[in-house]
Order: sequence, then structure tokens, then C-alpha cells
Amino acid sequence: MRNRKPLIAVIVIILVSACLSVLILRHSDQQAVEIVQDGAVLYTFDLNSTADRDIRISAPDGGYNLVQIRSGTICISEADCPDQTCVNMGKLQSDYLPIVCLPHKLIVRFAEEGS
Amino acid sequence: MNIRRLTELALLSSVALIIFVIELRIPNPFPIPGVKLGLANIVTVYAVFRYQPAETALIVSVRLLLGAMFSGNPSALLYSAAGAVCCLLGMLALRNVLPEKQIWLCSVIGAMLHNAGQITAAIIIMRSFSVIAYLPLLLVTGSLAGVFTGLCTQLLLNRIKR
Repeated sequence: MRNRKPLIAVIVIILVSACLSVLILRHSDQQAVEIVQDGAVLYTFDLNSTADRDIRISAPDGGYNLVQIRSGTICISEADCPDQTCVNMGKLQSDYLPIVCLPHKLIVRFAEEGS
Repeated sequence: MNIRRLTELALLSSVALIIFVIELRIPNPFPIPGVKLGLANIVTVYAVFRYQPAETALIVSVRLLLGAMFSGNPSALLYSAAGAVCCLLGMLALRNVLPEKQIWLCSVIGAMLHNAGQITAAIIIMRSFSVIAYLPLLLVTGSLAGVFTGLCTQLLLNRIKR
């Protein structure tokens, strides 16, 4: 092997991202949640005080997502996109990792403290 | 471009497309947007090392366009195209730097650049920085997938002599 620099760079990047991933996947104890579409905040909730409900959010392209709040947890329960990734992601758990629906430009995330 | 070359490129594009469509049928164990095995990139890495840059770009763009149509998810095209452009530029630059034995490394770096491109597209399209949190996860899973496709390509290049 002549040139080891790329290999070392790749290993460093992988290690750093692995550490960050552990940090990012930690569960959150926050309660404020916001739903954002196309850069605009549509809804904000306090999960503790919000009763169970379903919110249907239409996308500009005619599709929809069904956001479900059940006993202090929030998830996307239904979407009409072909990949269903947002549904499979399950409940919102991490501070940093939002539930996103790429086709519908929808984000469900914990709101920043104090906002 | 002669007929033989054209036929080879068409063949490689359809092989990539078939792999892509079959991969769609495999359930994804990681429910994270953007995480994929990316087996079709075996063809991309192979083409990077055996064909001209312009020819490789042709193969990749045909696969992207037809793949978006076949998967019924045309909105994913923007993300995958952004990733593919970054990945391709990076791998074409690395092709002359890395020795033959380190093709797998080229594929890993390509996968990481693909992820970086995807996330950049997502930040711009969704107009939100919060999706950047996915980058570390994508880099880890992407480099694993990159090692796999890279090793597959290495095998392929050893078997198929020029």
C-alpha cells in the first residue's frame, strides 16, 4: 500500500460518526414537539398535555401523512408515499433525529428549549 | 462512440437497473431515510475503473432516471441525483490516486460523498438544518455498504480481464 492517508481519513470519519450516532440516538426527555413542512412550522404541541389525536397533513403534491399522538408519544402512522420510511421510523425519540418524510418535505421533531 | 461501446454501456445500465429494482424488494432493516445497500453501485464502481468518465456518467444518469420511474418515487430523484453527482466526481478523482488494491476504499469514500450530497440536497429542499443529524448515521451505514459493494467490484474486476 503506497498511500495510507485516505485510509486513515476514512477510519477517522467513521469513528467520529459512530460516536456522534450514539449521541444522536439517545432518548430525549423533552416534551415540546413541532411539525414542520417546507420550512414552516405547522403545529407545536406539549406531548404531556396533548390528548390523543390524529392530524392529517396534506402535501403540496396531493399526498398526505397521518401524524398520531398517543399517550405522550408521537409518530407518523400513515403516509401515501411509496417508501414508507417515515412510518417505519416509529415514535419520535431522539432530540436530534427528527422523523422526516422526504417526498412530502415533512419534519416531526422536538422543539428547541424555550421556543 | 462505436456500436460495441454503445452496447456495452446499455448492457451495464440495464444490469444496474435490474439490481436496483431487485434491491427495492428487499426489506430495509434500518428505517432511516437514505439508508440503502446500494448494490447497483457495484456497476458504477466497475464503470469508473473500466470506462471513460463521460461514459460512466451516462450509465449512472440512465439508471437514476429509469430507477426513479420504476420505483414510482420520482421525488427521490433529487436526493439520489445530488448524491450520485458527488459520489461520481469523488470516485473519478480518486481513480488515479488510489492503487488497484484499494478499489474498495474508493467505493467507501464514494458512498460517504453520496451521503453528504444527499443530506445537502435534503437541507436545501426541506429548508431545515435538522436533517443534518442523519449524516453520522448515514456515514456509518453508508461506509459499511460501500465496503461491501467495493469488495464485490474488486472481485469483478479481477475476474473480468480487459
